[in-house]
Amino acid sequence: MLDSFEILTTSGVVLWSKTYAPTSPSIINSLITSVFIEERTLPGAGVADDISAANNPPYKYDQHTCKWTTVKELGLIFVAVYRSLLHLSWIDKLVDNIKIIFVELYGDQLRKPHTTIVKCAFDDYFDQQIRQLEKTALNRDTKVAESTALRAEAPASVTQDFGNEPPPLPGILSRGASKNNYKDLTSNESTPIATPDTSRPSTPASHLLTGKGGPGGKGSRRARKAANTPTAYASSGDELQSKRDKASKPAVAKKGRKWDADGLADEDSDTPLDYSAPANGATSGEDEIKERPGAMKEIDQSSWGWKNEKGEFFLKDLDDQVDSILASATAKKTDTVTSSTGIVGSSISAIGGYFRSIVGGKTLTKEDLEKPMKAMEDHLLRKNVAREAAIRLCEGVERELIGVKTENFESIQTRIESAMESSLQKMLTPTSSHDLVLEINAIKKQRPYVISIVGVNGVGKSTNLSKICFFLLQRNFKVLVVACDTFRSGAVEQLAVHVRNLKELTAREGTGKVELYQKGYGKDAANVAKDAVTFGAQEGYDVVLIDTAGRRHNDQRLMSSLEKFANFAKPDKILMVGEALVGTDSVAQARNFNAAFGNGRSLDGFIISKCDTVGDMVGTLVSMVHATNVPVLFVGTGQHYNDLRGLSVQWALKKLMSSN
Amino acid sequence: MSTIQDWAHALMNPSPVGLIIAILIALTIPIFLHTVVFKASGLTTLPSILLLSPSGSGKTSLLTLFERGTPASTHTSQTPLAVECSLPVGTTASSDKYRSTHDPTSLTHKKFLLIDTPGHGKLRHHAQSSITNPQNLKGLIFLVDSATLSAGDEGLRQTADYLHNILLMLQKRSTGSKAAKALKDIPVLIAANKMDLFTALPAALVKSSLEAEITKVREARSKGLLDSGIGMEDEGEENDDWLGEMGSKEFRFKQMEEFDVSVEVLGGNVCGEEPKVDRWWQWIAERL
Repeated sequence: MLDSFEILTTSGVVLWSKTYAPTSPSIINSLITSVFIEERTLPGAGVADDISAANNPPYKYDQHTCKWTTVKELGLIFVAVYRSLLHLSWIDKLVDNIKIIFVELYGDQLRKPHTTIVKCAFDDYFDQQIRQLEKTALNRDTKVAESTALRAEAPASVTQDFGNEPPPLPGILSRGASKNNYKDLTSNESTPIATPDTSRPSTPASHLLTGKGGPGGKGSRRARKAANTPTAYASSGDELQSKRDKASKPAVAKKGRKWDADGLADEDSDTPLDYSAPANGATSGEDEIKERPGAMKEIDQSSWGWKNEKGEFFLKDLDDQVDSILASATAKKTDTVTSSTGIVGSSISAIGGYFRSIVGGKTLTKEDLEKPMKAMEDHLLRKNVAREAAIRLCEGVERELIGVKTENFESIQTRIESAMESSLQKMLTPTSSHDLVLEINAIKKQRPYVISIVGVNGVGKSTNLSKICFFLLQRNFKVLVVACDTFRSGAVEQLAVHVRNLKELTAREGTGKVELYQKGYGKDAANVAKDAVTFGAQEGYDVVLIDTAGRRHNDQRLMSSLEKFANFAKPDKILMVGEALVGTDSVAQARNFNAAFGNGRSLDGFIISKCDTVGDMVGTLVSMVHATNVPVLFVGTGQHYNDLRGLSVQWALKKLMSSN
Repeated sequence: MSTIQDWAHALMNPSPVGLIIAILIALTIPIFLHTVVFKASGLTTLPSILLLSPSGSGKTSLLTLFERGTPASTHTSQTPLAVECSLPVGTTASSDKYRSTHDPTSLTHKKFLLIDTPGHGKLRHHAQSSITNPQNLKGLIFLVDSATLSAGDEGLRQTADYLHNILLMLQKRSTGSKAAKALKDIPVLIAANKMDLFTALPAALVKSSLEAEITKVREARSKGLLDSGIGMEDEGEENDDWLGEMGSKEFRFKQMEEFDVSVEVLGGNVCGEEPKVDRWWQWIAERL
């Protein structure tokens, strides 16, 4: 069963919620942060519109699954939470229907500015939807079994199980006898309310009931036959019902004819929602018709008459409303599809569209966006953003923009640019601020702060390590540099030169202290790292910086040793060095390294080196962050020890958006 | 020829129909312009109060409490939200201080806009942009979750970091260019929320621990790396990022008064048995 259903705004206010089992609010909070804000599943998902819940990837968190959908225009999110173990086939339909109904009913209230209050008595609508969908789902499940059972006792139960029978069946019955019966039944069935006879066959017990009801069913047929002759009602004994039926009779007799074809034609579709649409259009406001069959059953099948004692009539109104809402929504959808045809209409709208694209106030469509989005994609590619990242970024922005109205005197181009800029900003901004000095200070004196640096060959791991070392030395930390590149000849010596330089510099300035820890070549890097950390702890170092061997990211043999390394050294920060020069490969690099440390451990940050050599083409930044959601901590900007910078998002944006 | 003359006659003649049309046009144009222009320009903006804090401190709850009287259940915000609130009975805005109690205008409650901002790290630019170009901004409320502020807590660090950035923005605003001088000072209320929780610190302790943590943040910032934007294009630009009094050992909120930023810390709680937000109301009333 459903655990809870919530309707909330993007600004975080819960407008309506229904809880069946207590669920932690952290489920939905984590859905919001990881899907909508950090966009881990797909970019632009947070604002994607007109996508049914079935197309949105379900979000799993702590044994619960969230199904969600959004309304971009109103900033609404609809979330259904249920246990992951359950398989609820109707949940998508539920979320979608609720979305349509809610927007239709309360859309006006939601559009009001400066308020969060939405007065909604939504419980009834929701309950109705749940009931209905659960029943159709159950029906569908049992239909196969049911239909075989029916064939055996067809003559007995034909009137009751009408809804489940294939359309040709009415032919079995004699025409003259039951023409009006069909009329009534079909009109009854075509209202998608869970009428008792659709719900009944779901349990085995009801099968028994059907058997017993055999004579009753016959009786009912007789009664229905009699319905043509008003005198027969007196014999049924219920004065009140017969009166009501009599009162509604003339209208029924006339209307009923139209029903025949409609109702029967729609009979075979198994989702009642869909065939409700035409039915309602034909009989708007004719409540008597719907009441009547219900009332008839009350007389006929006294065994389950209690089911539709009171709630039935109340529910009918609600159901009508709900169905008309859903029907109009589907109608609108088909309208928008068809409306684009027609020469005059299209030419007028084209002129208007052209005018609007200059003045603003134009509602953007996919066609409008196609060309400028292509241009934007090319622009990103020119900035050295990997193709994959550029395409996904553009898709995200496109999804965000479709259906949005441009501001006054705002061209599509500028709108796209601003949207792209804000989505880049959102992406590059780290979730929480990483202040290395603060973090080191926080654990100072307890244990050393371990930073390890990974990356492919030749990107500048050792250089950046020594830059970080210099930065830390200037802040008066005691740093131990560990040479874990036990593979490439000359690697240890290279690091030793750096350390010697740094020692001289620190001696001159009188700050900090640096030592090299090395075990020569050929040793297992993970063991060396582990020993170094213990050594650092004993000797009271503040920071342990571990240099690793460069490795090709698509070489499984080399990458697999990283997991062991992470387990042994337990670094507080694993930083990956990526060079700004690399193009498309950056995505794969970042992704492979991010996944190399095993479950529960990933990269903590990137260092983008050689940024001074690429000018404006800093797209690697975007590609790497985009692929992994790991923030960029440092940017290497030159050959000197002090050419290390933190990332300024504004700076990166300026470079990325500048045109040349 | 004659037809042309006829046309000219018809056009020039002071026919009653032509007169009526002319009069109608003459009358409707000003009315039309009036409605269009005034609709577009909008009403005078209400005074606004900005809500800030890291995620999960209770901004949106506070907002709904102020608007409805009872807090609604909320989730993480993604977009900013402005809501029109009015001061409760019994509090008078400072601008109405000298009004007689029988003044009919004091019967209508003073209205203001309360602006909620998302506190998630990626979405803080919403808040920052509303500080840099404020519209009739009367004050900032920085909510803190007093239950997560014990020393050494991650929550304390994040909160202090954000608060440091906000205060630094306000400081730069007042020390910045001459145009900025004309801007009015923006007072800050640090609302220590969730006082109903058992682990919550009292307001005085919230203040001192925040001050201590900001001192650390300030120190770390001064030692931290420069941002990538600086020093690559224009080397010489001096970047003064020291919050509060230059060279002071410890950061105190009092130091902000030098930059026309008054900081107050008041306790209260939004959720729980019964919300206690009277003092925050009082603070808002004094700023309106």
